[in-house]
Amino acid sequence: MNYLHLFYQLLPEAVLVITALALLAIALTRESKTGKPITCGLASLIAALGVIGAGLALGFGPYCGPKCGLDSGTNLISTDAMALMFKGCVLGLGFLAVLVPPAKKEIANPGEFYALILFALTGLSLTVGSNHLLFMFVALELASLSLYLLAGFSRTARSAEACLKYFLFGAVSAAFMLFGLSFLYGFSQSDTLQGVAAAVAADPTSVIGIVGLLMVVVGLGFKMAAAPFHYWAPDVYQGAPITTVTLVAGASKIVGMVLLVRFLMIGFPEASGSAAWGGMKAGWSVWLAILAAVSMIFGNLLALAQNSVRRLLAYSAVANSGYLLVGLCAAGAASSASALFYVVVYGLATLGALAVTAAVERDQGNDSQASFAGLIHRSPLQAVCLLIFMTSLAGIPPLAGFAGKFILFGSAMSDSTSAGNPGLTWLVGLAVVMSAISFYYYLRVLKQAFVKGEEHEGGKQSEMSLGHVIAVVIPAAALVLLGLLPSVLLDPIKAAVFEVLGGR
Amino acid sequence: MNPAWTIISAFVGALLVLLLPARMAGQSRVIALVASIVGALAAAASGLTRLNDVSAPVWSFDSPWIPSFGIRFHLAADGLALTLLMLTGLVAIAGVLFSWNVTKRPRAFFAYFLIIIGGVYGVFMSRDAFLLFVCYEIVILPKYMLIAIWGSTNREYGAMKLTMYSIGASALILLGLVVAYAASGGTSFDIAHLAATDYSTSLQTWAFPILFLGFAVLAGMWPFHTWAPTGHVAAPTAASMLLAGVVMKLGAFGALCVAMPIFPQGFAIWQPMIAGLAVIGIVYGAFTALQQKDLKFVIGYSSVSHMGFVMLGLAAATHWGLRGAVLQMISHGVIAGLLFGIAGRVVYERTHTRDLEELGKFDLWRSLPGAALAFTLATAASMGLPGFSGFVAEISVVIGVWETYPWLLPLVALGIIITGAFSLRAMYRAFFPVLKSAQGTNPSPPNLPPLTWPEISAMALLLIVSLSIGIYPKPWVTLIDDGLRSPLFQSILSQP
Repeated sequence: MNYLHLFYQLLPEAVLVITALALLAIALTRESKTGKPITCGLASLIAALGVIGAGLALGFGPYCGPKCGLDSGTNLISTDAMALMFKGCVLGLGFLAVLVPPAKKEIANPGEFYALILFALTGLSLTVGSNHLLFMFVALELASLSLYLLAGFSRTARSAEACLKYFLFGAVSAAFMLFGLSFLYGFSQSDTLQGVAAAVAADPTSVIGIVGLLMVVVGLGFKMAAAPFHYWAPDVYQGAPITTVTLVAGASKIVGMVLLVRFLMIGFPEASGSAAWGGMKAGWSVWLAILAAVSMIFGNLLALAQNSVRRLLAYSAVANSGYLLVGLCAAGAASSASALFYVVVYGLATLGALAVTAAVERDQGNDSQASFAGLIHRSPLQAVCLLIFMTSLAGIPPLAGFAGKFILFGSAMSDSTSAGNPGLTWLVGLAVVMSAISFYYYLRVLKQAFVKGEEHEGGKQSEMSLGHVIAVVIPAAALVLLGLLPSVLLDPIKAAVFEVLGGR
Repeated sequence: MNPAWTIISAFVGALLVLLLPARMAGQSRVIALVASIVGALAAAASGLTRLNDVSAPVWSFDSPWIPSFGIRFHLAADGLALTLLMLTGLVAIAGVLFSWNVTKRPRAFFAYFLIIIGGVYGVFMSRDAFLLFVCYEIVILPKYMLIAIWGSTNREYGAMKLTMYSIGASALILLGLVVAYAASGGTSFDIAHLAATDYSTSLQTWAFPILFLGFAVLAGMWPFHTWAPTGHVAAPTAASMLLAGVVMKLGAFGALCVAMPIFPQGFAIWQPMIAGLAVIGIVYGAFTALQQKDLKFVIGYSSVSHMGFVMLGLAAATHWGLRGAVLQMISHGVIAGLLFGIAGRVVYERTHTRDLEELGKFDLWRSLPGAALAFTLATAASMGLPGFSGFVAEISVVIGVWETYPWLLPLVALGIIITGAFSLRAMYRAFFPVLKSAQGTNPSPPNLPPLTWPEISAMALLLIVSLSIGIYPKPWVTLIDDGLRSPLFQSILSQP
């Protein structure tokens, strides 16, 4: 191994970091020359180009992987199929997030704001591509620290509250996770997931290993906003600049999910136990089933009572963490792949919904449900895209959210079936019922947009910048496409996951 | 024309309507009419072809869709599906004609309308459970929009109630389907494959009611029917026609072609329960209809009662019973469409009331004789008088019940009698308040605008079909029997 090869592996991240530094330099020089900070639009354009560059580096870069001595399994930087796949997804969602404009007055120094976004993306991208306990943690903290700062960027009281809550909860979760990782290291004498797996295979009931894993799951539960570790989410979603929220809701959620799959399915496949009704066996399946059930119930029931659409989406994020965990409970490669497919689809839908919310907030001054009234008359494009996002979140065909949920629940059921008896019926049944309830609150927003506000008919049209239009239209188009032809994304994800986890 | 044109015409029509420029929005009804006619013609042409040669191979289209989960895009149109496609085409045409005067956001209205039609066509032809469920769910959101935006009485409440019932029911269906998928090995969602799997009796015992109930809610089975009357009343005319005419049939169709064949043993266990609920629905719906003051509520509850016959036919599970159930689906689809069209469009647009007492003041038999005639004939059909489709359907169901649950017949007879009573009461109060005015003063009838050609043609179309089925049911019966020969149903037919 030489450093050039290492650089090749890190080319996408290198592009992100270089762009971030360049952005900071440009912002500084412009500010010292003109006396005014760089504009938001220019900064987001540079950042977007940087993310595109990283994407190109990922897609066409000189990857060498195992053939140049980089063993994908044990090294810090893994180049397995899952890493490439989800780096792509993170960059894609990051690109869209960069294009969602924050409220203009809120961001005093856009150069730093977008540079931090690029650093966050760097961290997220490194996190999905690692099997090394410590490297994973450091990369995740790079992303998290950037996100804490981004949450507090708009210098309002709400934003400060969001930042502080996010930071405090995040710091506690990081402490949990690090403590858990130290247990795992002590237990396995190894700092890679493969090493942990070997130790678990030798001694599946070791208390130290299980306690270590429990702490890691708690830490990742915070990151994914799974109940009861979700208390930061509503305030961050409501208070942080909307661009930050799209990043937290989209790319960051995917990373949490990928990490969880890696830990559980690579590190602890032997200790899964079973959450089947009547056949429960101790193991992480049972913990996840409880987390899933609590998240779905809390998230959906609390979302019913929200008036702020951002808070509604935060509770919907909690609920969706629940659905995702249902997929992991079955402890199968196929159901993990379905959950990862669903998290991407969910990320697109919630990002799009937030992008539309950004436009509505700009026009109407706040994000209450009433400010969506008559959206179909003010901006048919926003309204139709909102319809696509909300119905996809609710799981209505022909959108990707439906295919994702159906496949997620179907594969969770079939992976938990033994002797013709599906064991997870109780959990999937709960998920399905909760998903039906969720339709009510999504539909309430759509009711405002399509049924109410007829006085807006023929009134002033809402306008969006080109970047904003892209951030709204691309997820909508992707959701329709993936709804009609889920295999376009599902099959690559499934192949990648099966390659790494060794499924059928 | 092959049957796929039904689905294609509806969705292409919806797309064209949405793409119309704003200044041509008024033309969307023409596109909708053309699309509906194309769909209906495609259904009728395929039906006739099938009728000529019922032994010919069934038209089908089968291609992989999501191969990694064994999901296929599998459409097929046997005789049973074709009869329901024809019904859908017919109601679609009549619905567009009865909506000819919609001026509020017409593009959106007809787009939603056509999407519902397309979804319904899709359900009737799907042979893959995933595809069927997709088509089934596509219908839900447009239904909500039609009612909430263009509806009348209590529209937002009615729309939300109906939607939440539908979505809750779909949740049950989804759960039932994934149970069947997982228990059958997790390889295919093909309905024939799911039905051919031998599930354990214990699994069938709990899984069948989940799946069946999901469909039965949409079919308006008592006590899960309460969405139907409020939804029908709140909906604009075309949506009431679609809801009562075809959307409720989706539930019955799903129960017959998905729930019962997949879990036949579960069905056998729950069969008496279903029969009991169906009979309660017949009697309860009829009695409730007898008490209503709003003409649309009368029709709404009569739908509950009539759909009870469908469920009863299914519960009988004999050849006569199933055939009767399908005939009743078609018959009720036509008649309910006609009744809602007259009450919601023809009469309401002119009188602006649906209250039976208020309607009596308009002397409709003199001021709108055409509507009164059509309503009288529709009432006769709804009561199941010989010569109309209702008679053929109900007699078949009754024969089926006689074979399986003869002791239920007295209750069924009671239901039929009360049906006559409420139908005559509503007709008499709304259209022929002759005696009352003869005793008192006899004012000249109020001047109401005459019937327009779209109304007349829609009413005539539906009446002619109902009469033709009643007088010569053989082609329909042939097609239905062709469908019932499918291996799907052999496990549930208890007697030949």
